[in-house]
Amino acid sequence: MASEFELSRNITIGQYVPTDSFIHRLDPRIKLLVFTILVLAIALNTSYLGNALGLLLAIYLFWASKIPISYGLSGIKPAIPFIIILAVLQLIFQGNVFSGGTVFFEYGFILITSESIRLVIVSAVRFVEIILLSSVLTLSTSTTDLTHAIQSLLSPLKKIKFPVHEISLIITIAIRFVPTFAIEMEKMMKAQASRGADFGSGEWWRIIQRTKDMLPIIIPLFNIALSRAEDLILAMESRCYTPGNDRSSYSVYQSIGRDYIVLVIGLLISALLLFYHFPF
Amino acid sequence: MKPIIALENVSFSYKINENNSVSVLKDISFSIFPGEYVAIIGHNGSGKSTLSKHLNGLLTPGSGDVWVHGYNTKDDSKKLDIRRGVGMVFQHPDNQIVATIVEEDVAFGLENIGVPRAEMKQRIDEALEVVKMSEFRKRPPHHLSGGQKQRVAIAGVLAMRPDCIVFDESTSMLDTFGRNEVLQVMRQMNEMGMTIITVTHRMSEAAEADRIIVVEDGKIVMDGNPREIFKHKEMLMQLQLDIPAVSQMAEMVHNKIPTFSKELIHEDELINEVNRVSKARS
Amino acid sequence: MPIIEIENLSHTYMKGTPMEHKALKGTSMVVNEGECIAIIGHTGSGKSTLIQHFNGLIRPDSGKAIIDGVDLSKKRIDIKALRRKVGLVFQNPEDQIFEKLIGDDIAYGPFKLGLPLKEVRERVKWAMDMVGLDFEEMKDRQTFALSGGQKRKVALAGILALKPKILVLDEPTAGLDPRSRNELLDKIKSLNKLENLTVIFVSHNMEEVAYLADRIYVMANGTDVLTGTPEDIFTDKENLQRYEIGTPETVQALYRLKDLGYHVNTSAFTISEATGEIIKVLANGEGGNRG
Repeated sequence: MASEFELSRNITIGQYVPTDSFIHRLDPRIKLLVFTILVLAIALNTSYLGNALGLLLAIYLFWASKIPISYGLSGIKPAIPFIIILAVLQLIFQGNVFSGGTVFFEYGFILITSESIRLVIVSAVRFVEIILLSSVLTLSTSTTDLTHAIQSLLSPLKKIKFPVHEISLIITIAIRFVPTFAIEMEKMMKAQASRGADFGSGEWWRIIQRTKDMLPIIIPLFNIALSRAEDLILAMESRCYTPGNDRSSYSVYQSIGRDYIVLVIGLLISALLLFYHFPF
Repeated sequence: MKPIIALENVSFSYKINENNSVSVLKDISFSIFPGEYVAIIGHNGSGKSTLSKHLNGLLTPGSGDVWVHGYNTKDDSKKLDIRRGVGMVFQHPDNQIVATIVEEDVAFGLENIGVPRAEMKQRIDEALEVVKMSEFRKRPPHHLSGGQKQRVAIAGVLAMRPDCIVFDESTSMLDTFGRNEVLQVMRQMNEMGMTIITVTHRMSEAAEADRIIVVEDGKIVMDGNPREIFKHKEMLMQLQLDIPAVSQMAEMVHNKIPTFSKELIHEDELINEVNRVSKARS
Repeated sequence: MPIIEIENLSHTYMKGTPMEHKALKGTSMVVNEGECIAIIGHTGSGKSTLIQHFNGLIRPDSGKAIIDGVDLSKKRIDIKALRRKVGLVFQNPEDQIFEKLIGDDIAYGPFKLGLPLKEVRERVKWAMDMVGLDFEEMKDRQTFALSGGQKRKVALAGILALKPKILVLDEPTAGLDPRSRNELLDKIKSLNKLENLTVIFVSHNMEEVAYLADRIYVMANGTDVLTGTPEDIFTDKENLQRYEIGTPETVQALYRLKDLGYHVNTSAFTISEATGEIIKVLANGEGGNRG
């Protein structure tokens, strides 16, 4: 029986699953670049077919990286209420914005057309695609690789005095601490439940009640987050980390043929999603 | 001999708000010399942790000066030199690991001071060798035990080749085995010439040092070798501290058998004393 | 009479993910009412997972867990009633204090039980009394300004205010200075002996295990591998080494004397008992390998 408190079970961001697939071995810079472009292309595609393609691609990538797709899907579970609420709102209010197509239902300001239904379905699927894609990326790339990738992709911005290194370090640390915080939060919920707090007993749609139940953990969680951050800063500072200083790098990356092939394929698929006019 | 670290009339207070501040350190002066093994002890809230953060310029005194290798810690342009000279290992193993692979975490400090890659590799090898973690170099640190994580943290500091390492309650979250692992590394580094400063409230750990500094209410109340310090049982108890179990046993035996020395602090000494007295008696 | 019966209990974390991890592999344990039990073992031996079963934070994957008559493997149980009966104090409980005032924080649990104000007040008073905090003086103090030891007492009082029958503590004294540690240990001991509270605690500190426990369970690799009185466990040198369990400093010294041929009883683990052993040896004029 899974525990109602096992939050970390559902967190897929910031976990690294070393299966040593070819996706894992790609040059992280190219991997990040391709994923970013793909996510953008998917975000802009509004056709059924285009998104079906995107979904298939995401599933293929999970398979190729030898990470169970069920694990990727568990990352979506906590977001389901939001997807549903968003879908309902869009269905009710967006009919007039995306008019056109067949009208199915009309009452007062509510207008439901084939186009607005498309919007609802496509945005829900799109959301799933994007979560899956970003899960594959983070599950198959170690945090260090990811930082170096972000850093080198952003490095052209150095010319305009953009704090590239600082930003990439912030991103790394944020990602590295996601699972840690899930664990802390789990601990805190358990501790409060042991003192008679209700967790997991309220149904998910009773959002206000559930939010109120969370209150006793928010303050201590915030305190822990702060003290951890403070510790980390001290540890980094005492190891001579100085924002703005030039650093040398231990890891070096070299792109090989395979990486370029992936880059080309990724760009082609993105171009297809962006510019091809899908029939439906 | 010139001290590695010298504190001169150091005071420090935390500001609570505009009008109020809490004074944590009050006019502290002492020096740490090359090769020393110093334990700083005091109960929770005595100011010992704030004090340790002054030793490599993580905090700078409100008044007074801290000199590290002759550089004032208030001099921002010398900050990196100071921290290269005096490394620090913290309490929580998890909160001081930056990277997701052991060797890359060890590399973090080296990257910060711009060590060329070829040299980095060699320094990482050496550091991991000293803490006996070489076989774990490619592993993610979050699967290691507490003691192993702390040894990785030590390697990260060691790779920067400091002359002095400060351990800020670095064994307090570890179990007996993890603690012994870390203590062994500390002792070994000290024998290699490294200056060691350890902040602790385990008395048996403090007994390992050559010198103990006792902090109470932001002031230094005792400073001497462990044997001297642990003679003052009453005073230590008043300071919410203790004496090592070995010393307590020695004292109790001494009360029954006066020839048995009461000034013992190490287990070895206790064993030898039992041998000595037993021989003398039979 | 057994108050806790665990039989062949297993638990797997992150089930169905690549990080799946078996924390308990068929562990068993019986705790009698009024006992004080220590659970010791290496990091990762499954101690924390086990104790979270006691108040139903984790439900059995397989195996049996009966806590004061409640069978946890049944689907429908009154989990809140169980959590009231079993007070679980986590490691570093001071991190979980969230109210501004001490009294309010301790009152959180009783309020959640829906008790009338008068009784809440009485319980807070009783709980503060139990941990040695003066009610009138401390109840309106700010929680953030407390020392580590006091915060921990507040956190313990917060659990005691639920009036549990069983008190479960994870590393109760980790990070405390010697005096705070001794004070807390004395409180726990008197709760156990005077209030007849069943106490189960996890610890790495063998001195406190020796001081408190009636009986010890040693865990390794997700199962219970040894059980016995502190005398039994601390005299079992071979197993101590096998399961990487430390011994109290006193016992360690006695073992070394024994190895030298002195006739000491290594089950003497309090400082005065161990000292007694040394005095006995010296008074008898007995010697080891004097060569």
